[in-house]
Amino acid sequence: MKETDTVYADFLIVGGGPAGCMAAIRAKELAPELRVIILEKAEISRSGAAGRGMDALNNVVVPGISTVEEYLEALEIVTDGIFDPTISRVIGERSFGILKRLEGWGVEFPKGEDGNYIVNQFHPKGRFLVEMRGELKKILARVTKKAGAVVVNRHPVVDLIKDGDRIGGAVALNLENGTFRAFLAPAVLLCTGGAARIGLPNTGYLHGTFDCPWCNGESWKMGYEAGASLTGFEYTAQSSMTRDFNGAGQSTFIRHGAWLINGLGERFMRRYDPERMERAPAGTRARAIMEEEKAGRGPVAFVFSHLDPKTVDLIESAVFDVERPTMRDYFRNKGIDLRRDPVEVVMTEVYLCGGHGLAGLVADAWGETRVPGLFAAGDSLANPYGFLAGAMCMGEAVAERVAQRKAGPPRNPDTKERLKRLEMLRRRHTRGKLGVPLRDFEYKFRRLVNEYVAPPKSARKLQRFLDETEGMVVEQDDIPAEDPHQLMKVFEAKAGLFCARMAAYASLFRTESRFGLYHERVDYPAKDDKNWKTRVIITAGPEGPVLEKERK
Amino acid sequence: MNLSFDRESCIGCGACVEHCPGHVLAMSDDGQPYERYPDDCWYCGVCQVECPEDCVRVIFPYLIR
Repeated sequence: MKETDTVYADFLIVGGGPAGCMAAIRAKELAPELRVIILEKAEISRSGAAGRGMDALNNVVVPGISTVEEYLEALEIVTDGIFDPTISRVIGERSFGILKRLEGWGVEFPKGEDGNYIVNQFHPKGRFLVEMRGELKKILARVTKKAGAVVVNRHPVVDLIKDGDRIGGAVALNLENGTFRAFLAPAVLLCTGGAARIGLPNTGYLHGTFDCPWCNGESWKMGYEAGASLTGFEYTAQSSMTRDFNGAGQSTFIRHGAWLINGLGERFMRRYDPERMERAPAGTRARAIMEEEKAGRGPVAFVFSHLDPKTVDLIESAVFDVERPTMRDYFRNKGIDLRRDPVEVVMTEVYLCGGHGLAGLVADAWGETRVPGLFAAGDSLANPYGFLAGAMCMGEAVAERVAQRKAGPPRNPDTKERLKRLEMLRRRHTRGKLGVPLRDFEYKFRRLVNEYVAPPKSARKLQRFLDETEGMVVEQDDIPAEDPHQLMKVFEAKAGLFCARMAAYASLFRTESRFGLYHERVDYPAKDDKNWKTRVIITAGPEGPVLEKERK
Repeated sequence: MNLSFDRESCIGCGACVEHCPGHVLAMSDDGQPYERYPDDCWYCGVCQVECPEDCVRVIFPYLIR
């Protein structure tokens, strides 16, 4: 096979995270004859948000402990009523099966003293969070390859190929030699994660984000341009994370009973959600932290000194040994001992995510978007708070639909036009240092997100963001890129700006306040269930994005 | 600089480069890993975990240190 040849797959998976791996495994199980290809931006055994490790499956309906109905009730609270119960039901129903499959492959689910899985509460209601250990991503990658899926590493996808109204494939950038490679397929799954580099972190370090910084909304930009719809972009999420380190810990700390205290030592969540305290919906917790800071009662911190030492050991093993081992070094450098010291938290930058928020591609119960043959899963799919288990559940569901359909090759793919356009773009990016440097470009739009899109929101500020960044959409095609890596970063930055603008459009459209801090409109301070208890859908129109309330 | 490589114990196997999820690392002409794109590092620690000789130390980007 020559590099320039167009490659054919029956099922093309864009992104080798947990959703993509599970989709590949399931497709090969059901239809071994299918040619399944995963295009992976990094190296599959360590790629994406789950690449280093994950310490829990956040949402599993474990028989005898919870029910699917309870899971949906919890999500109703978490999402303030704005979610599609069809997909969440699929996740609830499949989640325990996923746990058992992972366990069978060697992922560890430690048992408590009673011999059962350790299931904790993180949601405002119900227990769905199962402790997990072991090298999840390495195991998934191994099983994926063993199942017979072809993995193409270091190939970020930069464009989709259409076949009339249907999907026809994708074009990837080969990071080794900088060529564009076309892959044709009648079924394409977009699962490249969420969008981490939207707001600017307090530190000003562009890649110092809460969510995986190498996932920047590429699936959303490409899916939207191909004709799929987006939703949940007004849910501009921010988490409470360890100051400056800005990652991992929040759910681990909360589920094991850590308290949030302000600078006066008060357990301040009493003021904002006395019933649920730290387990309040994320937007409520975020607003509480902001309010405490604003009132001069900061800094806010997590404390652990009231916990049983064994529980602190468990927290440390979850965060240090599994999820982010570098956090151990970070705490050591700062002289922080969880048994003794508070861990100062700040609100992270604004990010958008399907699995840790509401944003994503709109799809049916099988993950299919409104473009026939184009699917979404994981953090790229609007599967509110679907987390890691949701990614794998929906990857499985997509594969079942693809295997059952067995569509033939695309008849009239627009490959040539796509490649021609991409080559033209490459020429613009590589013709010298004529345009705005990538770093300045990214810093600027993300600073503007902090100023105009992050809450508190208002029509004036949101419109200002759209006006200020309109010119950047033109400038972005002249950002210089000296090598394939930088060209990949340019595509990431373009996707980031696209997502930030969609967040502004959606935030402008929803003329009410909802989701605690995340969609606080100072010009529409009240929640308006009568008019707005519905999703906002964004679709590409001839003159720009068309926004509408979801028609039930 | 976010990482330090112990050049004495590094055997040049390239595991850190191969697995880096951010495509941050590369091998130099003398067969040693280095941070080719240091601004893109997420200090995730994959390089450290993958190193068979335990010669990678994460020292964190200056702005977050």
